[in-house]
Amino acid sequence: MSATFEQTSSDMAGLAPDRRRRRRRDTATALAFLAPFLLLLLIFQYLPLAMMAKNSVLDYSLLNPHAAKFVGLRNFTDMLDYEDMRESLAATFLFALGVVVIVIPLGFALALFLNSKLRARGLVRTIIMLPVVTSAVVVATMWNFLLDPSNGLLNGVITALGLPRQPFLTSPDQALLMVSIMTAWQQVGFAAILFLGGLQGVPNELAEAARIDGATKRQVLWNITIPLLSRTTLFVVVIMTVFSLQAFAPAFLMTDGGPRDSTNLIVYHIYKTAFVMQNAGYASALSLVLLVIVLGISLLQMWILRARWNY
Amino acid sequence: MKTLILAVLAGGTALAAAPAFAQDAQCDGDPVTLRILRTPGNYPYPAPMKLWQKDHPCVSFEINEVPFAQLADTISVQASSDNPPDILVYDGPNTQSYAKAGILLPLDKYLPEGWSDDILPATKAEHSYQGHVYSPGIEQTTVAMYYNKTLTDAAGIHPPKTLEDAWTWPEALAAFKACQKGEPGAPEIWGLGPTRFGNGQPGLVYNDLIYQRSAGDPKADPSSSAYKTFWAMAPDGSTVKGYLDTPEAIEALKFYRSLFNSEGVAPKAGIPNAFFDGKACFYVDTPAAGNALLKDPVIEWGVTPMPYFKTPIVHTGSTTIGVTARSKHADIAAQFAVDMEWGEYAYMNVEERGNLPTLKSLFPRFPEYQSYPMKIFVDQLEHWGQPRPPSPYFAQYDRIVTDALRSVAFGGDPEEAMKDAEREVDRAMRR
Repeated sequence: MSATFEQTSSDMAGLAPDRRRRRRRDTATALAFLAPFLLLLLIFQYLPLAMMAKNSVLDYSLLNPHAAKFVGLRNFTDMLDYEDMRESLAATFLFALGVVVIVIPLGFALALFLNSKLRARGLVRTIIMLPVVTSAVVVATMWNFLLDPSNGLLNGVITALGLPRQPFLTSPDQALLMVSIMTAWQQVGFAAILFLGGLQGVPNELAEAARIDGATKRQVLWNITIPLLSRTTLFVVVIMTVFSLQAFAPAFLMTDGGPRDSTNLIVYHIYKTAFVMQNAGYASALSLVLLVIVLGISLLQMWILRARWNY
Repeated sequence: MKTLILAVLAGGTALAAAPAFAQDAQCDGDPVTLRILRTPGNYPYPAPMKLWQKDHPCVSFEINEVPFAQLADTISVQASSDNPPDILVYDGPNTQSYAKAGILLPLDKYLPEGWSDDILPATKAEHSYQGHVYSPGIEQTTVAMYYNKTLTDAAGIHPPKTLEDAWTWPEALAAFKACQKGEPGAPEIWGLGPTRFGNGQPGLVYNDLIYQRSAGDPKADPSSSAYKTFWAMAPDGSTVKGYLDTPEAIEALKFYRSLFNSEGVAPKAGIPNAFFDGKACFYVDTPAAGNALLKDPVIEWGVTPMPYFKTPIVHTGSTTIGVTARSKHADIAAQFAVDMEWGEYAYMNVEERGNLPTLKSLFPRFPEYQSYPMKIFVDQLEHWGQPRPPSPYFAQYDRIVTDALRSVAFGGDPEEAMKDAEREVDRAMRR
C-alpha cells in the first residue's frame, strides 16, 4: 500500500511540472490569440470611456479643447437644472417602448409563420430581412416620402378614404410614433429571425406529448412554446431596447429632432450638444449617464425575464 | 525585370503622392503644400489657383472636400488637431465663433490697400471680431423672390420690379393665394415653393428670420421692442433676452405660421425642384438660381424684391475663406487667401460660381447684375442687406432659432417657441 502510494506520488511529481508547463503554454497561446482583440478593445472602447469620464467634469468646446476648464459636477447638475436631458430621455424611452411593443409580437408572429410548412419560405424570409439590411439613409428617405404631409402616399390613401390629411412628421403628437413605427418596420425582420432560431430549438417531443394529452394548438403555444422561448425573448427585448436607446439615424435624417424636440433622441441630442452647440463636456456627461442607464436597463431586463425553464 | 518593377513602383508612388494642384513652373526655394478644406464645387477654383501658382511656383495645394452639411463638424475636429488645414472655406457667419476659439488668423496686415473702402459693409461686419478682420470674403449672397411668369401672368399678377415698389407680406400673400392652384395645404401648384436649402423644410434663419426682423425698426429707440425686433440679438452680441419674443416679432410669426397652416400656400416639407418644374408660383433663392436660369431658361421667370412688414431687410453672407491660426505656412496661406479675394483672382472666382462679389469695384464687371432681373439682388444687398446676427455664438443661435422657427411653421405657438429659444441661446452664451 505504502509502496503503491510512494510510486503514485513520484508519478504525480513527475507529471505536475509537465502539466504546469502545458498550462502555461496554453495560457500564453490563448493570450497571444486574444491580445489583438483585447488591445483593440482597450484602445477603442475602454480608453474612450475613460476619456469620456474625464471630459464629463470639464467645460470645453471642440473648437478649442485646449481651453478646457474643470467644472466639477456642474455638467451633471445642469442636467437637473435644465429640461433638455429629461425631455430627450423621455422621448427616447417612449421611442424604445414603441419599438419593443411593436417588434416583439410582430417578430414572434412572423417567426411562427416562417416556422410553418410554407412554400417559398426562403423568399419570404428574404423579403422580411430586406429592411434590416437596407441602409438607414434609404429607409429614412423612403419613409419621408411616404409620410409627406402634402404629397405622401399615406396621406393619399387617407384622403381617398375621405379623412383629413395627417401631419405625420410635422406634428409633435405624431412624429415620435411615426419614427417608432419606421424603426420597428426596419427591425422586425431581425427579431423574427432570432425568434425563428429559438423556435427551431424547441424540442418537438414536448408539443407532441401535450397534443397526445389533448392540448389544443393555442394551449401548446401559450403553455409550452412561449415559456420555452423566454431566453430568446429576453435576448430580443434587450437587443431591441439597446438598439432603440442608441438610435440616431431617424432623428438625424427625418426630423432633425423636432418638431419641438419631440423626436430629439438622446444619442442625437448628445451629437448636437457636442458638435453644434459646442458643449463637449456636457455631451460627455450625458453619454456617461446614458451608459449607466443602458447598463441598468439591461441588468433589470435580464433579471425580470430570466429563464425559469431549461430544455 | 527587377528594374522594371522598381520603376513601376517608384512611378506609382510618385503619382499617388502628387498633390491636387502641383505647380508647373520651376521652384527655386523650399516647396510648400497648402492644405485646403472646402465644400465640393466651391472656390478657390482651378483657374485662379493655377494663375496664382505662376507667381508662386513653390506652392502646391492639397484639397479636401466635405459636404456642406458636415463642414462645421469637420472644422470642429480638424481645426483643433495638431495638424490643421492651412486654409478653411467655411460658412461666413461662423467667423466670430472661429475667431473667438482661436482657430482663425487675423488677416489685417495682409489686406491690400483700399480693401476697407471697397468691401461691402455687411461683409466686413460679418468677417470681423473685436476690431480684426478674419476673412477677406470672396462672394456675397442674398435672397430675393423669383416668380414663374407664365403662372403669375395667368393669374393677372404683376410683381414689383424695384425696391421702391416692393410688396408688403400681406400683399405677397394675396398674390400667393391668387396664383396657387388646388386645395390649400396640398395644391398642384404652390403659391410659395419650398427652399432648396437643408432638407427643404422651412425655418432656416437665413431665409425666414427676416419675417420678424422686417417687423422691427432699426431707427427706433434702442430700448424699444421695435428696435430689438429688427436686430434679433443685442447689437453687442451679449444677449437675446427680449429680442426674439417682442410683440412685433410674435405678430410677424403668426403671419409666418399662417402661410404653412391656415392659408396653406407653402409646404412644410421639401419638394425637389418644385419651382423649376413649374410646381410653385413664387420661390425664395439666391442669385445662383437666377444665373442657372439665365444659362438654361427652363421656365419664363422674373424676380421681385423680398416682401416686408415695416422695414425691408435681407440677410447677407456666404461661404468664405480663412487661414488657420496654427497653419505651418501662415504667411503664404494668408497671402493666398487675400489674393483670391482681390482683383482678377476675385473676379475669376466670383464669375465661376455666379453669386455676387464682395468688392464694390467688381460689380460693373458683371453685366447681368446691371439690369433687371438680377440687379434686384445688387440693390437689395446695397440698401437692405444685414448680416445674420453677428456673434461668437452664431452657430448655436442659428440652430436654436431655426428649430424655433420650424416649430412655428409646423403650427406651434410663436411666443412659447421664441421664449424657449431665448432661454437656450442665453444658456449657450453664458458658457
